[in-house]
Amino acid sequence: MKDVITLLKPRFLSFKNKGIFKNDSGRIYKLALFGSISIFFWGGIFVASLRVIGYFKEIEGLGDVLAYKLLSMVLLTFFSLLVFSNILTSLSKLYLSRDLSLLNSMPVPSYKIFIARWMESTLDSSWMVIVYTLPVFISYGIVYGAGFIFYGNIVLVILILSVISAGISVILIMIVVNFVPANRIRNIFIFIGFCFFLILFFAFRFLRPERLVDPEAFSSVLFYLRSLKAPAPPYLPSTWAFDSIKATLSGHIMQGLFHTMLSFSWAGIMVFSAIIISNAYYFKGLSKTQTAQVRLFKYKYSGHRFSGFLSRPCRAFMLKEIRTFFRDQTQWSQLFLIAALVIIYVYNFNALPLEQAPIKTIYLQNLLSFLNIGLAGFVLITITARFAYPAVSSEKDAFWLVKSVPIDLRHYLWIKFFIYFLPLLVLTEILIIATNILLKVTPFMMVLSTVDIFLLVPGVVSMGIGFGAGYPDFKSENPAQTVTSFGGLLFMMVCAGYVGAVIIIEAGPVYRFFMANIQGKVLTVFEWVWVLGSFTLVFFLSIAAVMVPMKFGEKRLSKMLI
Amino acid sequence: MIELIDLTKRYNDFPAVTGLNLVVRKGEIFGFIGPNGAGKTTTINMMGGVLAPTSGAVMICGINIQDHPKKAKSKIGYIPDRPYLYEKLTGIEFLKFIGDLYDVDEEAFLNKSREMLRLFSLSEWADDLIESYSHGMKQRLVMAAALLHDPEVIIIDEPMVGLDPLVINMVKSLFKHLAKEGVTIFMSTHTLKVAEDICDRIGIIHKGSLVATGTAEDLKRDIQNKEADLEEIFIKLTKE
Repeated sequence: MKDVITLLKPRFLSFKNKGIFKNDSGRIYKLALFGSISIFFWGGIFVASLRVIGYFKEIEGLGDVLAYKLLSMVLLTFFSLLVFSNILTSLSKLYLSRDLSLLNSMPVPSYKIFIARWMESTLDSSWMVIVYTLPVFISYGIVYGAGFIFYGNIVLVILILSVISAGISVILIMIVVNFVPANRIRNIFIFIGFCFFLILFFAFRFLRPERLVDPEAFSSVLFYLRSLKAPAPPYLPSTWAFDSIKATLSGHIMQGLFHTMLSFSWAGIMVFSAIIISNAYYFKGLSKTQTAQVRLFKYKYSGHRFSGFLSRPCRAFMLKEIRTFFRDQTQWSQLFLIAALVIIYVYNFNALPLEQAPIKTIYLQNLLSFLNIGLAGFVLITITARFAYPAVSSEKDAFWLVKSVPIDLRHYLWIKFFIYFLPLLVLTEILIIATNILLKVTPFMMVLSTVDIFLLVPGVVSMGIGFGAGYPDFKSENPAQTVTSFGGLLFMMVCAGYVGAVIIIEAGPVYRFFMANIQGKVLTVFEWVWVLGSFTLVFFLSIAAVMVPMKFGEKRLSKMLI
Repeated sequence: MIELIDLTKRYNDFPAVTGLNLVVRKGEIFGFIGPNGAGKTTTINMMGGVLAPTSGAVMICGINIQDHPKKAKSKIGYIPDRPYLYEKLTGIEFLKFIGDLYDVDEEAFLNKSREMLRLFSLSEWADDLIESYSHGMKQRLVMAAALLHDPEVIIIDEPMVGLDPLVINMVKSLFKHLAKEGVTIFMSTHTLKVAEDICDRIGIIHKGSLVATGTAEDLKRDIQNKEADLEEIFIKLTKE
C-alpha cells in the first residue's frame, strides 16, 4: 500500500503546487467564477429534476411508474457515461501517459502502478458525473419524503456503481490493448461513442417528444407508456442500483440495503479480478503500446493544386491547418456532431406547429426569423469555441516555429482568422437561409438576417482567435479542451454579450420597419433616424468586435514566454 | 554578422542573462558553453527572435531583430534543442511549410528539399507522418528545414543531442563547409569535444554573464595552464 500512496503523491503534490491552496487573488477570482457557474448548473439540474419528478408523481395511476422509469433511465445513462468516461481516462492514464516509462523503470511491481493509476482514473472519470447526477437523486428523496438512510444509501450506491464501471472498463481495455494499439482504441471508442450518441439524439428528436403535451396525441402516448412497466434487464449493475434506490424510497430499508450489499460484493469481485488480470497482462499491453507506431498510410506529396492563388505564408498555414485537422481522427467525430447539429436545427424549424399558435402566422414566422439570428449566433459561438478558439493552442510545443519564422504575430493571427472565417460564414449563412426558407419569411427579414450573420461571423471568429491567442495553453494534450479554461469562458461570455447586444439594438427598429411594411404605413423621420442609427451602431460594434480581440490576442501572445 | 549589445533578460526578478556583449564574425563558428541554467538557451532564444530581451539588442547581419524581426529572421536558420514539430504532417510537407514561410520558390524548394532529405538520410521517410519519427529523425528534419533557405546565420541549441555518431560526423563536416562558404554559426553545446573540434572561438557563460571568450589557446592562457583541455578550462571558470 505504501508504494501505491507514493505513486499517487506526484498527483497530489502537483495539485498543491498549482496554487490551489495559495492566496493568489487572480486564482481566487477564477475559482469564484467557475464555482458560481458550477453551482448555477447544479442548482438548475436540481430545480428541473424536482419539478419533473414532482410533476410525474402527481399524475394519478401512472405517476410512480413514470418516476421509477425515469430513475431507471437516469441510472442506466449514469452507468453508461461512467463506463465510457472510464474507458477513455483509463486508456490515457494506464497506457498513454508520458511518465509511464519513468514509473516502469522504478523497482515497483507493475500491478502496483496499475492500482495507483486505476485509482486516479476512476476518480478523474467519475467525480463530475457523480456531482451532476446527485441533484437528481436528492430530488427523488425530497419528492418521496425519504428518510436520511435513503441519502446515505445513495452515496454508497453511486460509489459502488462507479467502482463497478471502472472495473468493467479497465478489464475490457486490458484485453483489447493486446490486439489494437492503445492510441487507436481511444479514437475508435470516441468515434463509436459519438455515433451512439447521435443515433440516440436523432431517435429522440424524430420521435417528436413535443407530442407528449398535445392532448390529441395523448391516448397513443398512454398506450406506449404502458409498455414502460416492463422490468429492466437484471444483469445490469444499474438495475441493482435501481432496485436498491427504489426499495429505500418506498420505505423497504432492509431490502434496499440487501441490494446495495449485493452490488458491493460485485464491486469487490471487479476490484480483485482487475488486480489479478493486471498482474498478468498490464505490463504486456503497456509494452505493446510503447513500441513505435506502425506505418498505416503514406501521404504522397502533391504540391499546391488548389491553393496557388494564396500568399505563401497563408498557403503554408492553411495547408498545415487542414492537414493536421483531417489527419487527427478525434476531429472526425466532431464533424459528425456538427452535421447532426445542423440537421436537427433545420429539422426543428420544419417541425414547428406554427399554424396551431394563437398568434398570426406571418408575425410568428418573422418574429422567429429575427430570434433565429440570435440562435444561429449561439450555434456559431459553440462551433467557434470548438475550432477557432483552440487554433493557437493547437500549435502546442511547435509554437517556437511560429516565433522563429519571418512572419509577424499579427499576420499569423489574421491567417488563422481567415482559415476559420470562410467555412464558418458559409455554414452559418446556410443555417439562416435554410431556416428562413422553411419559415417562409418576408424578403426584408431574409436580407436582414443574411446581412446580420455576415456582420456577426467575423466578430465571433475574431474573438475566438483573439481570446485563444490571449489565453493559449501550449502544454494541453487536447487543445480542444482549452475552451473550458478562464480564457474560453471569457470568450463565450463576451461573444454572447455581443450577439445579444446586436439583437437588442436591432429589435425595436426592425419591429417598426416590419409593421410599417405589413400595414402599408410610412415611417416617420424619427423612426428612420432610429433605424439608420441602430444599424450604424451595429456596423461599428461589429468592426470593433473584429479589431479589438485581434489586437488583444496579439499583444498578450507577444509578451508570452515559451 | 551577429552582434549582441548589452543583451539582458530578466524573468521577474531573476536575471537570466546580464549585459551580454559579443561579436561573431562572418564565416565563424562560435561555441557557447556553460553549466545548466547559465542562460545559454535564453540567449539563443533571444537571438532566434523567439524571446524578447528585457534590454539590449541582437543584430543579425546588421539588422536589429527587435526592430525588423521579419527581415532579420529571414537570414537565420534556427534549430532549438527540442525538436517539437507538427506531428500530423509528413517530413516533406513540413519542409514545404517552412519553405513557404521563408519564401523559397517552387523549383529551388524541390532541388533543395531533395538534397537535404538525402543529406540527413530522410528520403525514405519523407512521406511518413512526423509522429512516426524517432527523436533523432526529428532533430535531423529540423536541421534540414533550417538549411532550406540558405541562411546567412545558423543559431543552434545543442546540435548533437539524439544524433548517432555517423550523423554527428556529417553535421560537423557540414558546419565546417558552411562556415567556409561564409555562413556564421552560433551553437550552444554541452559536448565539449564538439566545441573543441569545430569552433573557431568559444564563449563561456556563467550565471547569465560571459566569463571568458576566445580561441582554445586564449582560454588556456586565461587560466594559466597551457596543457589544459576544454573540460578543465570549463570547470575552472565555472567553479563556485
